Amino acid sequence: MNVVFAVKQYISKMIEDSGPGMKVLLMDKETTGIVSMVYTQSEILQKEVYLFERIDSQNREVMKHLKAICFLRPTKENVDYLIQELRRPKYSIYFIYFSNVISKSDVKSLAEADEQEVVAEVQEFYGDYIAVNPHLFSLNILGCCQGRNWDPAQLSRTTQGLTALLLSLKKCPMIRYQLSSEAAKRLGECVKQVISKEYELFEFRRTEVPPLLLILDRCDDAITPLLNQWTYQAMVHELLGINNNRIDLSRVPGISKDLREVVLSAENDEFYANNMYLNFAEIGSNIKNLMEDFQKKKPKEQQKLESIADMKAFVENYPQFKKMSGTVSKHVTVVGELSRLVSERNLLEVSEVEQELACQNDHSSALQNVKRLLQNPKVTEFDAARLVMLYALHYERHSSNSLPGLLVDLRSKGVSEKYRKLVSAVVEYGGKRVRGSDLFSPKDAVAITKQFLKGLKASGYHRVCYWRSHL
Amino acid sequence: MSSLDDPGEVREGFLCPLCLKDLQSFYQLQSHYEDEHSEDRDVKGQIKNLVQKARKAKNKLLKREGDDRVEPGAQGYESFSYGGVDPYMWEPQELGAVRSHLSDFKKHRAARIDHYVVEVNKLIIRLEKLTAFDRANTETSKIRAIEKSVVPWVSDQDVPFCPDCGNKFSIRNRRHHCRLCGSIMCKKCMELIGLPLANKLTSASKDSLSTHTSPNQSPNSVHGSRRGSISSMSSVSSVLDEKDDDRIRCCLHCKDKLLKREQQMDEKEHTPDIVKLYEKLRLCMEKVDQKAPEYIRMAASLNAGETTYSLEHANDLRVEVQKVYELIDALSKKILTLGLNQDPSPHPNTVRLQRMIRYSATLFVQEKLLGLMSLPTKEQFEELKKKRKQDLEQKRTMERQAALESRRKLEERQSGLASRAANGEVRSLRGIPAPLRKAEGWLPLSEGQGQSEDPDPLLQQIYNITSFIRQAKAAGRTDEVRTLQENLRQLQDEYDQQQTEKAIELSRRQAEEEELQREQLQMLRKRELEREQEQFLAASVHPRTRALDLREVVPFQLEPSRAPHSDLAYALDQDSSPVPGSAAPGTLSPGCTLAPIRLWSGPPALSQSTVPQQSKKTSLNPFDEEDLSSPAEDAASPAATETLLSPSAAVTREYNPFEEDAEEEEAAELGAGNPFTDPNSPAPNPFDEDDHPRPASPPAPGNPFEECPCTNPFEVDSDSGTEAEEHIEEELLLQQIDNIKAYIFDAKQCGRMDEVEVLTENLRELKCTLAKQKGGSN
Repeated sequence: MNVVFAVKQYISKMIEDSGPGMKVLLMDKETTGIVSMVYTQSEILQKEVYLFERIDSQNREVMKHLKAICFLRPTKENVDYLIQELRRPKYSIYFIYFSNVISKSDVKSLAEADEQEVVAEVQEFYGDYIAVNPHLFSLNILGCCQGRNWDPAQLSRTTQGLTALLLSLKKCPMIRYQLSSEAAKRLGECVKQVISKEYELFEFRRTEVPPLLLILDRCDDAITPLLNQWTYQAMVHELLGINNNRIDLSRVPGISKDLREVVLSAENDEFYANNMYLNFAEIGSNIKNLMEDFQKKKPKEQQKLESIADMKAFVENYPQFKKMSGTVSKHVTVVGELSRLVSERNLLEVSEVEQELACQNDHSSALQNVKRLLQNPKVTEFDAARLVMLYALHYERHSSNSLPGLLVDLRSKGVSEKYRKLVSAVVEYGGKRVRGSDLFSPKDAVAITKQFLKGLKASGYHRVCYWRSHL
Repeated sequence: MSSLDDPGEVREGFLCPLCLKDLQSFYQLQSHYEDEHSEDRDVKGQIKNLVQKARKAKNKLLKREGDDRVEPGAQGYESFSYGGVDPYMWEPQELGAVRSHLSDFKKHRAARIDHYVVEVNKLIIRLEKLTAFDRANTETSKIRAIEKSVVPWVSDQDVPFCPDCGNKFSIRNRRHHCRLCGSIMCKKCMELIGLPLANKLTSASKDSLSTHTSPNQSPNSVHGSRRGSISSMSSVSSVLDEKDDDRIRCCLHCKDKLLKREQQMDEKEHTPDIVKLYEKLRLCMEKVDQKAPEYIRMAASLNAGETTYSLEHANDLRVEVQKVYELIDALSKKILTLGLNQDPSPHPNTVRLQRMIRYSATLFVQEKLLGLMSLPTKEQFEELKKKRKQDLEQKRTMERQAALESRRKLEERQSGLASRAANGEVRSLRGIPAPLRKAEGWLPLSEGQGQSEDPDPLLQQIYNITSFIRQAKAAGRTDEVRTLQENLRQLQDEYDQQQTEKAIELSRRQAEEEELQREQLQMLRKRELEREQEQFLAASVHPRTRALDLREVVPFQLEPSRAPHSDLAYALDQDSSPVPGSAAPGTLSPGCTLAPIRLWSGPPALSQSTVPQQSKKTSLNPFDEEDLSSPAEDAASPAATETLLSPSAAVTREYNPFEEDAEEEEAAELGAGNPFTDPNSPAPNPFDEDDHPRPASPPAPGNPFEECPCTNPFEVDSDSGTEAEEHIEEELLLQQIDNIKAYIFDAKQCGRMDEVEVLTENLRELKCTLAKQKGGSN
C-alpha cells in the first residue's frame, strides 16, 4: 500500500504503452502536480518524454512527430479542451488516460471529435491524488467546509480522491467514520455510493479481514495542529511550508538565486528520506556528518591538476560531487533557516508552554506562562494567538477562566483582528461541545493509542483521512 | 528461540516450508519446490515473496558491509530507515485498477468516421468532375450546366437568409451556390478553391487508382497563361457576373474538409529532420545498451587476469563503444542546433524539445561512459595472467592441505567418538544408521558460528558449505557432496571477484586520501589568507560566497570565534553540541521539550509503534540469520561441533587472508594499470614516451586541440596505427574536456559563477598540460 509507488506505476505504464519515439505529456493543472510528485524530470526524460504541456495552454505548436500522452482529470473543461485538441490534432497520435471515472457520454463526444483517427487509447488510471509519502497522500484542498458542512464541490473532489485511492491500491474497504462528525458521515456515504455504483471496478480478491477505511474529523482534536513541531519534515512544513514537495525559500535573508525554491523529496534525496522524521537536534548532528563527508569528496579550487590522471578522477567524480553539493547546500540552507526562525521567534520557549497547555492541568501556572509570553516582543502574533487558542480549548469550562483578560492582552500586543477572531472560531470548531471524547486527560490519550493499535492489527489496512479545516 | 534442551526443533537453511526438507541453496529449493509442490500455487507466491525479501536484505547487508569498510564516517546518515515506515517490508504491489473505454470509443468513432470519409470522398469526386473539362475554353453557360449536373443546387426560394452569417439575401446581396454540395451562401461567406489545390487533391485519388498516370502538371501552366488573356479580354463581363472561372466556388464547410485532407496528405509524406536524427540517436543508444555490458564483462574478466576473452577483441569493442558515444554526442548536438539560425526562428517549444533531447543524451553518455572501466595493457595483462595462475595454484595447494587436514581431523574425531558421547546433535546424527536418517531428512549443521566475527557473509557461507561437505562425506551422501561442491565453487568464484573489486577500490581510495590531505593543507593556508583579507573587507561580503565559506569552515573548525558571524553557523554549532543550552543561554534545549511533544503526536506515535514489529519480522527471516550468524544460532548449535572442527576452519581462515594479500597486490598493479599512467616509464604521463611515434588523433569538431598551435602535421604520416590504445585514451580525454565544457555551460546557465571559475581553471590547466606535452613529444 505504497501510494507513491501506485501513482508511479500508473505513469510508467502509460509511457510504456505508448511505445518508442519522442513523446509529450499533456496534463492539466492538477495532474501536473500528481506527476511531478512521483517522477523527476531526468527520470522521465530517460523514457523519451521530452515535453510537458498543459492542455489549456494556447501556445502549443503543431508537432506531428510527437506522440501525446494525455493524463487528465475527467472534468468538463478538460473534456472540452480535449475535443478541441482532437478536432485539430497537434500531435501524431494520442494516448488518453483519465485519472478517474469518466462518463459514457463524454467518451462518446470525444469519439465523435476524433475524425482523423488519432486516438489510440482511452483508459481510466486512478492516480487522482497527490502522493506525498508512501503512506501519505493529499488532495491539496484548502478549506473544504463551510461551518460544519461540506462545500459540495470539495465533497465530490474528496470522494473522487478517496475512491481513486482505493482503486489504485485495489482495495474494497469497510468504511468506518467518526460518529460525532456529520462531515465524516457524509463523506463515508458518498464513498459507499460510488463503490456500489461502480461495483464492477471494485471487484478485487476478497481477503479474510476486509480492509478498513477509517474517516476521522479533525475537530475531535483541534490541539495537535496548533502545536509547534520538532521533526524535520513537520518543521519545514510548519515554518516554511511545503507545497508539492517544493519549499519557497525566497524570504530567507541573503538567499542565493538557485536556492530560492528547493525540492525536498524522499524519493530522490536520501538524506531527507533518512531524516524527515527525526528530531531537530538529531538532524543538526546528521547534517554535520553530511558536510564532513562532503568535504572529503569535494574537489578543491586550488587543486593543481598536474597529471591527466588527476584530471580524469576529477571528471569522473564531478557529477557525483555536483549532486552531493546540491544536497548539502540545500539542507544546510533549510536547517539554517529553521534554526534562525526558532531563535527569532523564541520557539523553544513557546513550544514549552504549548506542551504545558496541552498535557498538564495546572491552570494558574499555565495562565502565568501564557501571560509572560504575551509580553515577550520576540513572540510573533501568530504564535501568541495560538497560545491563547490552546488556553481557550483546554480551560474552556474552567472555573477561573480568564480568556477575556488574555484577549485584551492580545489586543494590546497589537495582534490583528484576523488572528484574534480565530480564538472564538477554534473553540466553536473543536471545543468541548464538539469533541466526542475528553481530549485533555492524559490517561485517555494512552487508551486511544492502544485502541488504535488493536485496530491496526486487526485490519491490516488502515488509512486515516485528515482534512484540515480552514478556520 | 534458543532451546538447548530440544535442539532438534531449530532448523535453519533453505528449508522447504511444506516437507521441511533442507535444500542447500536457494536454487535447489526453488527447483525442488517447482518439482514437488507445484500444485499448491498460493504458498508458492508466499515463498517467492519470502525469498525476495531475503535477497533484498542480503543485498543490503552485503552493500553495507562494503561501505563500512571503506568509509566508516559516512554511516551516520546512510543507514536507510524511512523513519518508522519501511515500504520495502510492505507487500509487493501490482498495478492499480484500470478500465479501458477504447472499444466504446472505437464504436462511436467508427460510426462517425464512416460518415466523414464518405463525405470527403464525395467532395473529391465532385471536385474531379468540376476540373475534368477545360474550364477556360468552355462557355460560361456550359460551365454552369456542368456544375449544376455535378450536384443538385438548392433552390433559391428555400433559403431567404445566408445560413452562415444570417444576412438576408437581396438584389445586392446575391445568392451563391457551393459547387461541391449545392448549398447557398452569401458572397462574404463564399470560399474559393484554386485549381492547383484541386489538382493536388484529385491527383492523389487518381494516383491511388492508377499509379501509372502521373499527374500532368504542364498543361496547367499553359492554361494559366491563356486564361489570363481571356480574363483580361472579358474583364467587363467578369465584373458583371463576378466570374472567377479559374477557381471553384464552395462553402466554408467543404473547403474546411478539403484543407484538412490536404494537410493529412502533406504530413504523410513529410518526415522532419529532427525525427531522422532522433531515430539515429536512438539506434546508437540501443547499440550502447547492447555493447556496454558485454564490454564491462570482458574488461572485468581481463582485469582479473582471466583468459576467457582476448585483449585485442576487448580493445576493439572499446573503440567501437566509444565511437558510438561520439556519434551520440554529435547527433544530439546537431539536434540541439537544428534550425536555430533559420528565419523565422523556430517555435520556443521546438527549441525546448531539442534542448531536452540533448540534455537526455548528455545524461545518457555521462551515466554509461563513466561505467566503462579501462583495460590493462599487454604487458600488464601478461603479468595479471601470471598472477592469476599463481593464485590458482596456491589455492589448489591450500585446498589440498585443507582436505588433508580435515581428513586427519575426521579420523581423530572418529577415534575419540566414544569419549565425547554427551555432545550435540551432529554426532548423534552421525551415529544413527542410514535408514533412520532418510526418514528425518539429512541435515548438516552450520558451524560458521565459531567464526561469527567474520565480517564477510560470503566467506561465512563458504565455511558453512565446506563443513557441510565434510559432514556429508562423513555421512556417505555422495550426491549431496557433489551439489555442495558445485555450490562451493560458485561461491568461491564470487568471493574472488568481490575481493578483487574491493581491493581495487581500496587502493584507489588510498590514493585519493593522500591527495586530499595535501589539498586540505593547501586549503587551510589559503583560507587563512582569505580570512585576513575578508576582515579588511567590510561586512558587505557577497552572501553566496559567504555561505560557501561557512560550509567549509564549520567542519574544519578552523575558527570557532567566527561562528557568531552568521546565524547559520551559530545554529549548527548549537545543534551539534551535546549541551545546546550552553550555546544559547536562556533557551531550552530541544531535547527537553521533545518528551512531552511525543505524548501529543498521536498518529506519529502510532506509526512508530509498528517499528518493533517490523524489525521482529526481519529477524525472524531464516535466510538472514544464516548470514548474520545471530546469537540464537550460536546458542542452538552444540558446542561439540565447534571444538571438533575449529582447526580445519582455522586453516581455511588463514588461507583466506593470504588470498586477500595476493589480490591486493594484483589490485595495486591494476591501479597502476590506469590508462593515464604508464608503469613502464617513470614519467607520469604516457604522452612523453619517446620510443613510440605518437598518433595525432583527428580532432573532433569543437575539440580544444584545434586551438593548439603546435599540432605537427608530420605526425600524421608517422601514425602507424599500432597505437590504438594511446589513440583511445586521447579520445577519452577529448570527451572529458567536452564534458567539462558542458558542465561549465550548465553552471553558467544556473548562475553558479564560483563553479564556473573552478571549471574553467581546470580546463585551462588541462589544455596547458596537453600543449606542453605536445611540445615535448615534438
